[in-house]
Amino acid sequence: MSYFEIKDLQKRYTKGGPLVVDHMDMSIDKGEFIVFLGPSGCGKTTTLRMIAGLEEVSGGDILVDGHSVLALSPREREVSMIFQSYAVWPHMTVYQNIAYPLKLQKIHKNEIDSRVKEAAEITQISGLLDRYPSQLSGGQRQRIAVSRAIVINPKLFLMDEPLSNLDAKLRVSMRTDLREIHNKMGATSIFVTHDQSEAMSLADRIFIMNRGKIEQVGTPMEVYQQSATKFVAGFIGTPPTNFFQVTITRTQDGWYAMNQDVHLRIPERYQQALLPYEEKIVDLGLRPEFINPYSGTSEIPFSKAKVNFVEQQGSHAILITTIEKSIVKIEINDFFNVKPGAILSLTVKKDMMGFFDQTTGKRII
Amino acid sequence: MNKLSILEKTMISLILSTIILVVLIPLLFFLSTAFSNATEMTVFPKSLFAKRNVTVKVVPQDDGKYEILYDYGKGEGYTSIITTSSGEKLEKHFQRQYGLMINGDKLLSIFSITRDEGPKEFTFKKDLFYNFKEFFKVVPNAKSALKNSIIVAALTILISLTLGSMAGYAIARYRFTGRKGINITLLIVRMFPTVGLSVPMAVILIKMGLFDTMIGLALLYSIPNIALTSWITSSIFVGINKNLEEASLIFGANRLQTFWHITLPLAFPAMAASSMYSFLTAWNDTISALILTNKNQTLSLVVYKAIGSSSSGIQYAAAGSIVLIIPALVFTMIIRKYIGQMWGGVKL
Repeated sequence: MSYFEIKDLQKRYTKGGPLVVDHMDMSIDKGEFIVFLGPSGCGKTTTLRMIAGLEEVSGGDILVDGHSVLALSPREREVSMIFQSYAVWPHMTVYQNIAYPLKLQKIHKNEIDSRVKEAAEITQISGLLDRYPSQLSGGQRQRIAVSRAIVINPKLFLMDEPLSNLDAKLRVSMRTDLREIHNKMGATSIFVTHDQSEAMSLADRIFIMNRGKIEQVGTPMEVYQQSATKFVAGFIGTPPTNFFQVTITRTQDGWYAMNQDVHLRIPERYQQALLPYEEKIVDLGLRPEFINPYSGTSEIPFSKAKVNFVEQQGSHAILITTIEKSIVKIEINDFFNVKPGAILSLTVKKDMMGFFDQTTGKRII
Repeated sequence: MNKLSILEKTMISLILSTIILVVLIPLLFFLSTAFSNATEMTVFPKSLFAKRNVTVKVVPQDDGKYEILYDYGKGEGYTSIITTSSGEKLEKHFQRQYGLMINGDKLLSIFSITRDEGPKEFTFKKDLFYNFKEFFKVVPNAKSALKNSIIVAALTILISLTLGSMAGYAIARYRFTGRKGINITLLIVRMFPTVGLSVPMAVILIKMGLFDTMIGLALLYSIPNIALTSWITSSIFVGINKNLEEASLIFGANRLQTFWHITLPLAFPAMAASSMYSFLTAWNDTISALILTNKNQTLSLVVYKAIGSSSSGIQYAAAGSIVLIIPALVFTMIIRKYIGQMWGGVKL
């Protein structure tokens, strides 16, 4: 049995209204760092708030250690939460902010003092304890929030987009710190974000959500390389997967994925799975880094594209090209001297293509 | 800010000083009235500052009498005021006209020196608080009225702050039918003049047995102030980030503790501002108090009556007004600090 479980969880904001969280199931083990990833409005924050007890549950159950917590008020659930807006109390000093949860537990003053100092030590804000939050920067305020979260020993750390209000550089360093703190505390964490690079770098497992449903659960590598649905393939990765509507056609030379512009020979290992889709339209997904503008031995030519412009990224470059009217993005690691207007023959790496069912959105192979 | 030219600076200082004078001179006049004795009050034009000393000229007469002369400062020199040999009369004269409390026999013995040395000027130090003492003497219920005023003001603040802030919180945080209606109704209630309400209130209060009590009066004053308080506080409650309360709930507080430790301190400036309004309504009102009280009068009513009925002199009423102003000033000064306090950085 898992440490934390959600069973058939539902949420409606209005009676008879749409399901914001749509029959969700999940289970999380102790010590895991879980990230809920999805576009805004996918129900990830709502789910988190239901776990915290800040939001009523419309159906289903939430279990911690095998016991339902639905009847418990937020304070009885023994979770701690870090908010996007930091939610540090402006009328209290940093020290008072961190000590507040302990004071409410009526812990002895000396112990409060040592625990507050320890928490402040971990988040590197020991020197700021006497200040008010209004005198501090966003990053420092978020550190207060983290200190406050770790000072009680919660069953779960909930983090609701804690880094989105920070500037880009701070965000990156802060997320390393968060992960370090998680490891040090041996905590179980759930982290909500819409930023996939955050999700990828932090998570043990990512729960990708869309429209109140979990699309895929997996390690960062799994969700990237074996995206289970078209949504996941399109959501994960910058730039995201390029999609082509193609018909699976069998000719004398073999199997082809074809439309007006694309003419891709399908390698043998895909053919078995695509058998039921013969002469049907499917979505072909190709990741930008697996498309190449020149031919090598392990690559299969499939189309011609015109280069619109080149985005230089330093370590790599992204070619923005058009095939007829649709835009295709290609990541290249060399061959940087492509000029806009050039016509390229595109090839794709042999084993790096994905086919998606058009009606269900699920991956065929 | 750009630097101002000399011309602009001059203009601005002129305008500002005019405004200050317009505000300051009546206040100064009022202050000097409160500290003037009866004789000073008769002088025209009255000086802007009350005198610290009283100087009289004493001329010894035959048959043991003394003639007292006073210089009104009109350039006419000393004018004869009273001629008497009675210590009692002298004492009364000095008290009434100059605000000096000196025993009659002592005055006679002081003046006896003129028998040998001839007419002489005497300077006495004025009792600055004579008018105040006299105010409490002339208006016998002034002390209890001061107490009443404080009670009414405190009750008004208490009632309108508790009810008003709870209403404000509900309007800010919860969605319910009729929310907008209630919001507008509150504004309309605020428009009612309290005087208009006090007559029907008098009937109700008599029936409830609350007529001529401070709680009855406070109830009336609370009517517009509950509305105002909920308006002010709801706008502040709306501005308080919900996450701050939610964080408190998660970190171990129940709803009451959250309201007490988090919401209330953050809304404190709004509370302070609205309590000041409540205080001022209760403290300054005379007309409703006139209608709704009989024996238990408030200070402002007593002062108002002193002005209307006093034959003895407006200076006592002015002294009473100062007694009325001081608690209001003290209260405002205490509250001011909190009103100016803005969470998020600037502390005034």
